[in-house]
Parts: sequence; C-alpha cells; structure tokens
Amino acid sequence: MAALSEHAIEEIRALPPRFPHIRSAVLPALDVAQDELGYLTREAMTEVAELLDLDPGYVEGVATFYTLLHLEPIGKHHFYVCTNLSCDLRGAYEICDHIKRRIGVEGFGEVSADGLFSLEEVECLGACEFAPMMRYQRRYHYDLTPEKVDALIEAARQNGGDRAADSPRDAAAASQKPPGRRASSRGPTKEDSAELNA
Amino acid sequence: MPDNVRPQSGDSRRDLRGSYGPARHHLLTSLFGIEGLHTLSVYRDRGGYSSLRKAMFEMAPEDITAEVKASGLRGRGGAGFPTGTKWGFIPKGVPGPKYVVVNGDEAEPGTTKDRYIMENSPHMLLEGILIACYAIGAHQAWIYLRGEYDGPFGMLMAAIAELRAEGILGDRPLERDYPLDIQIYRGHGAYICGEETALLESLEGKRAQPRARPPFPAVKGAWGRPTLINNVETLSNVPWIVAHGGAEYAKFGLGTAKGTRLVSVSGNVQNPGVFEIELGTSFREVIMEMAGGPPPGRRMKAFWPGGCSAPVLPEWGLDVSTDLDEVARAGSMAGSGGVIVMDDSHCMVRAARRLLQFYAHESCGKCTPCRVGGNWALRTYDRVLEGQGSEVELGTFDAIQESLQNGRCLCALGDSAGFVIASTMKHFRSEYEEHCLEHRCSVEEQVVAASA
Repeated sequence: MAALSEHAIEEIRALPPRFPHIRSAVLPALDVAQDELGYLTREAMTEVAELLDLDPGYVEGVATFYTLLHLEPIGKHHFYVCTNLSCDLRGAYEICDHIKRRIGVEGFGEVSADGLFSLEEVECLGACEFAPMMRYQRRYHYDLTPEKVDALIEAARQNGGDRAADSPRDAAAASQKPPGRRASSRGPTKEDSAELNA
Repeated sequence: MPDNVRPQSGDSRRDLRGSYGPARHHLLTSLFGIEGLHTLSVYRDRGGYSSLRKAMFEMAPEDITAEVKASGLRGRGGAGFPTGTKWGFIPKGVPGPKYVVVNGDEAEPGTTKDRYIMENSPHMLLEGILIACYAIGAHQAWIYLRGEYDGPFGMLMAAIAELRAEGILGDRPLERDYPLDIQIYRGHGAYICGEETALLESLEGKRAQPRARPPFPAVKGAWGRPTLINNVETLSNVPWIVAHGGAEYAKFGLGTAKGTRLVSVSGNVQNPGVFEIELGTSFREVIMEMAGGPPPGRRMKAFWPGGCSAPVLPEWGLDVSTDLDEVARAGSMAGSGGVIVMDDSHCMVRAARRLLQFYAHESCGKCTPCRVGGNWALRTYDRVLEGQGSEVELGTFDAIQESLQNGRCLCALGDSAGFVIASTMKHFRSEYEEHCLEHRCSVEEQVVAASA
C-alpha cells in the first residue's frame, strides 16, 4: 500500500455507499488514482482492487477497456483531438500535424521531451457543429485553428509544471480541493466546467 | 429560413449553433437562448416543472404512459423504438427497486443533439426523467453521461443541486410522499456504452460488453432490477407531451413518424448546427437550407443521414424525407439524427477507412465477426490506399461486409461497420475500383489540380 496518498484512499473508501453494488465504484476509484498519479500504474490498480475487494486482474481488465483511462504516462497537458469523420472533413488531421510539430512529437501517444505535452487521437466527442474540436483540461475547444492551438500551447508553457487532471471525476469529489501532492489544484473545477468553452 | 440560425454565439456561456427561440414546430428548443434558462428560477418562470406537478397530482402513472403512447414518440437514440410501449414493458407490482437509466452517452459520430439539450436546458431533461420515474414506479434515476461531457456534467450537477435545495428532489418532492432522486454516472470513453446493455454493464463497473437478450432490461436491467432506458432527447420530449397531451404531439410530423426531432448537421456545410425539425422534412431542406449547403464552389457528394452507422446516401438522397420509415425505404436509417455531409473534394474510400478505424477501435471484442472484421477491413483499406490494391481486395471488402451483418453479433456495432463498407461500395464503386485496380484517386487529383 504505497501507490496512493491517504487522501486518495479516503476518497475511494467513500465511493461504494453511493451505489447499489460495490463494483460500480471501480471506475470512479480509478479516476481518483489517475488524477493523483497522471496514469494508472499496476500498483495503483492493485491498490484500488484491494480497497474495493476486487481481483487486481479484474480491475486491470476494466481499466484497459476505456479510452479515458491511461495505462501509460501522458503529458501534463494532454490534448484529446477528435479525428472522426465530421472533424476530419474540416481539417482535424492538419490540426493534429500542427500540434505535433509545436510540441515536438512524432506521433499520437508520444510525450514531449519536457514531459509537458501529449496528443491523443479520439473518436467523436459529440460537438461536430464546431469541428474541428478537441477536449483539453476538462473543456471543449471549438473551431480549432493553428492560431488557437498555439495560444493554448503557449499558455500551458507559461504556467508550466502543473498537471491538468482530466479524468471524468465523479460528483462531489471533483470539486474538492485536496491538500498534498495531488497536482490538480490548478485544474478546472466544477465551477469552471459549468462555464463552457472560453 | 424556418429556423433561427446563429452561426457564432459570441461570448455566450452555452454555444448555440442551431435552432432556438419560438417557431411553430419548436417544441424542445422554443426556450433555448433565453438568458439563464439553465437555472431553476428561469425555467420555472417559463412554466418548467408544471408538467411534473400535473403528472404527480392530476394523473395516474398509467395515464402518463398512455399519453406517451398516444404521442407516437419513438426513441431518439437511434433504434426508434416506440417510447410508450417501452414504458409499458416495465413490470408493475414487483417488490424492490426499479430504475430509470438515461442514456446520455451520445457518441454516434455526427450526433450532438443531447449535448445541445443538456447545455441549453438541463432542467427540461430532469423534468422528463422525474415524470418517467413516476410513470413506471421508480424512485431512482441514473444519468449515464459520457465522460468527455464536462460541460453538461457541470450544468446537470448544478441543476440537480437546485432541485434538492428546492425540495423537488428528495423524500417528499412537491410535498408528495413519493421519494425521487437522480444520480449522474460518468462514462470513461467507449462508444459501445451507447448500446443499452453495454451501458448497464459499464454502470455496474464492468467492461462494457453487450448482454445477450432475453432477459431484457425492462425485466432485469441495472443491478438485476427492472430498468427503463431512454435517450436524453426522448425524455426531454416528455414534459411537453404531458403538458399538451399525446394527441397534440402527434399532430406534428409530416409522415408516419410523429413529432419533431433534433438533427445535428456537420461536415462540409456552411452552417453546421443542431436543428429542430418536424419529422418528414426533407433532407434537402435540412442540409441545403438550414445548414446552408456545401461551401461555395463545392457540390454535395454524399451524406450519412443518421450518424455514421446509417448507410451513406448519394446526392439523390436529398429528396428523401426525414420520416423514419422513408429513410429506411431509401436503404438507410434515420438513426440518431446526426447528418454528416461530405462534399466532392473528399475521397469516399478514405472516408470509409476513417469510419472503419472507428469501428475497429470501438469493437468491444465480445463477438468474433466484429472483433476480427473491423481490423481486417481497416488493414485492407490501408493496403488499398497505399496503392497495393487489386481485384482481390474488392472481393475482400465484400466478404467482410457480409460477415459483419445480418445478426451475427449481439449488438449493432458490427452491422454498422458492415453498412459503411457495403453502402460506400454500392454508391461509389467506381472510386473503389479506381483505387484497387488503377491505384489512383481522381478526387484527389482534381483537388491537387485545382490548387496548383
């Protein structure tokens, strides 16, 4: 028991009563772990399994199924760019190429040398009338242009080291500002997410 | 132009690109655009929650279901199943909990209407959910919201908190002894969760793989209990139907399908957006008028009428109406109402490849034809697009699309992948032949020549 902080463990322990069955807590629990560590290590998944009285293999099996859970390190700033048809028809791959050049990576999933950035090609995010678009820092960014992307990257470089946690965290937990080593304190909060799209 | 189109919404918190404001057929969107509509006070000032009050104080649960049946409302998630009939399947008088589960996993490519509803009027959805709970005898609803929808999540959370504070949710909603509660469960990025039984598996903390039916969710759904699963848009129609009656709702619609629906138009159009239309409106009106048609100098080549899982239609499809049955007769599906438009500067083989990448990635892996077929098709497309195609690949595409369809899988994902291959080959075979046999793409040649 060392992968997760006391705070995270407490948060995970508080999850099961919210559901008719303890197993439903597994995905919210993985969110807690991922927001703390940046991605899901095997140790973290094992610890989640122990806290929820599940088999570690089961938890890993669930984690591998879902796009928003990462089993490899990602950049502190991670861009989820939609490249499905509606966005593709409006230049999504050009936007991806531009981002790759700007952050200095060759392909999707690669983390930039400074650890700041990564880029993921995702399927339709349900905002096709604003194509091309992406999800970044728990927000949708619409009508992407190279200039808009440059501004976001520049802003991220300016405020540097903080990781922008972006798991789909659940309910009350998402708005808490925990002490300690969780790096999401500057990430958007519930209040932010109500205010869409800067 | 029948709809109010605001191409750019400036500094509005909720971006509106599509229908809003009053129009004869704006049942869902008539209040959209009003400042503060997402708050309980503004929604209530405009008559919000009077339908819930009417349902709980003036109607018996079975009367509500009867009104929904009379409305002719069909599910707006994609399958188009009659909503009232679905409500009627929920067993009565069984001990223990029942659930209403709201499918807010909107992930069908091209489909954005549920987000449009939730960002504009979260209380309209919540009111529909509560009426559905009361009608089927449930006390607990779960909204399964796709994980990427951070904006709608924040708005729904705020709206639910308002309802709790005002006593509309809780042990005695509207001072009546009928406890009601709504919880949100966030998805984690998996298209398959839009399939109702996969959604239930995910809600239960499992890999989201569809279940074999029977038992149907109405009998054995979430956590083994009777469960009603409806799409966000479907439930958002319920307050209007309760307020005005099913018969009034059924007066809308120009074909056999009743009412209005939201269509989201995207891709190569000048005015992409979400438009509320009467069912039966032609795709020509939707694409060429409301959405402004293709960009200047371009010609519409094809469109997917109901999300990318609906077989593609070429230009003649513009004269098909949005009536669910008529789209089916034209060889496609009205599906989720996501209309993706492609103009003549894009290669159909390349588009089909991108869609197969989607189906290959999103296959849950449970059924062999889908698990294997999607990736096999993708590899074949890659070979063809790299100029390595031949007669053999044309046959391979045919074999794969056939093996994906016709009920060989538990859910429709495999069929949908098959539809993409089959329908693009049917209507644009010459492009496939060019790529496979001549190793060239005349569409791209034209684009290059024009820009030279």
